[in-house]
Amino acid sequence: MRQRFEIGILFSRSGGYVLVSDACRAGAMAAIADINADPDFGIELVPVERDPGGSTDRYAPLCEDIFRSSSARHVVGCVTSWSRKEVIPVLEKHGATLWYGCPYEGYEASDHVFYTHACPNQHLVPLLGFAVPRFGARGYLVGSNYIWGWEMNRVARELLRDAGGEALGERCLALGDEDVSRLIQEIEALRPSFVLNNLIGPSSYAFLKAMAELGRIDPAFRPEVCPVLSCNLTECETSRLDGAADGQISAGPYFARPAERLGWPASGTSRSATSFEAATYMSVRMLAEGIRATGRADPDASAFVGRPVASPFGMVEIDPVTRHTALPVIIGRMQGSDVEALDVTSRILPDPYLTRYDRAQTFPRPALKVVMS
Amino acid sequence: MRRSFRIPDLGGAEAYILHRPHPTVAAIERQLKVIGIRTIEAWPDLPPAATAADFVFFDADLGHDEQFPWAAGQSPMPLIALIGSEAPGRVEWALSQNADAHLLKPVGNAGVYSALLIARNAFEARKALAAEVADLRQRVGERRSIVRAVGILIARGTSEDRAYDQLRHLAMTWQVSMEDAAARIVSWSEEEDVTQSNRLT
Repeated sequence: MRQRFEIGILFSRSGGYVLVSDACRAGAMAAIADINADPDFGIELVPVERDPGGSTDRYAPLCEDIFRSSSARHVVGCVTSWSRKEVIPVLEKHGATLWYGCPYEGYEASDHVFYTHACPNQHLVPLLGFAVPRFGARGYLVGSNYIWGWEMNRVARELLRDAGGEALGERCLALGDEDVSRLIQEIEALRPSFVLNNLIGPSSYAFLKAMAELGRIDPAFRPEVCPVLSCNLTECETSRLDGAADGQISAGPYFARPAERLGWPASGTSRSATSFEAATYMSVRMLAEGIRATGRADPDASAFVGRPVASPFGMVEIDPVTRHTALPVIIGRMQGSDVEALDVTSRILPDPYLTRYDRAQTFPRPALKVVMS
Repeated sequence: MRRSFRIPDLGGAEAYILHRPHPTVAAIERQLKVIGIRTIEAWPDLPPAATAADFVFFDADLGHDEQFPWAAGQSPMPLIALIGSEAPGRVEWALSQNADAHLLKPVGNAGVYSALLIARNAFEARKALAAEVADLRQRVGERRSIVRAVGILIARGTSEDRAYDQLRHLAMTWQVSMEDAAARIVSWSEEEDVTQSNRLT
């Protein structure tokens, strides 16, 4: 009989960002199913699952509960940065590790977390580097009222200044708030080159629908003129928006159709539907490899870092210094549940503190033209 | 003073850690490495080369003035105190070095990044304030030159108001401050006195 190892699963099954947490959970569960269905893999994973129900205050106690009631010392989970920051003290107390598979705002490198999705130098910086020469450098920034919205908007403001432009306005909405009328009025009045959307969940859906409506009334706000840019929008949400996000632009390490066209490896027997699925699928695969190699439920970091592995993102590896992942970047245009790749970079090393950010490289100046008088 | 941190420009900076070999040093080093800062350990003394560092972390528990290549409180870069013992005497000593921020030992997984930003901000504010104080002190000192210069002009047969206007006019013409213009008049007048007294002998 194969040896069984428990691993924690901590995703909300309800609440405002349930589409994203369901996608994350699906990736983790698919990887567990693939491993358990493979008699040659040698070990079996047993998920120990808890559901915080979209309530940030429930993450830490439920994470604690996983460690108290099972032998699991690795947990795959969390969607928001707020919930991740809540569980880190619990991880420290138990010498445990979180596999975090969502894009986030950077400025963190905990010894108790592996970050398997993108940080700003892998989403926001290349996204603005792509958008500014095409649409202009006068952005309007919207975000949800917590660390993701605040920090992403702050970095975007600085990037726009470096690009010779500016943030024309910035508004944050409370989590779950769907009243976007004021944002839309301001955008209509200010006529920015683009809108950067750092909203999450229902606020983001309401905003995308209202922008689509605005574009129908006034062609100056159609996506090909004034696009909505996102760093967290994927197929798991656009497929539910009845085309409201069509033509809008999103940056991520993965989109399903482009990955297929680029020939990136499938996730076991199927292909991950979103980057969230791909990141958690990869996390569980890496975790399982480490457990198998060491024969322990709590392998330390050396079992994972600096080892290139085949993943839905292609070959990737966790950086030993930052514990973030070297990832590809796709700038995609959303179309229903499909995505068209506008730009692909095969691999960007993680830089969560943006210490290697180079303004001249991100926003190269166009060659000066000699004006003849 | 409000300071925007912009996109952090800490990458490539250099930090000294003045502390005996200890897990706390390793914890700080790890955090600095993630931020892209080069670390140099030093103990028991900071070498003279540390004068060019961007940041210095120093042990407040076993520290003393002679460890630093500068006078107490005169560091040319932001300082971060590493405090284990919270005895008031040790905190007082750390303050006498002009620590701009502090970290409590043991140092864990976080804290270094915010300490760097706070220390840099406090250091810049302190430096700007010191420069302003020095400038104001100098101006107060130079008020004497203005009084003397006005006196010299009055002695040449003009009213006090006109003497003052004349001084202001000269400062504008020479494109210098009133204080500098006054200093020139005073020094010329002294030279004249010397020439005259030479002639008399």
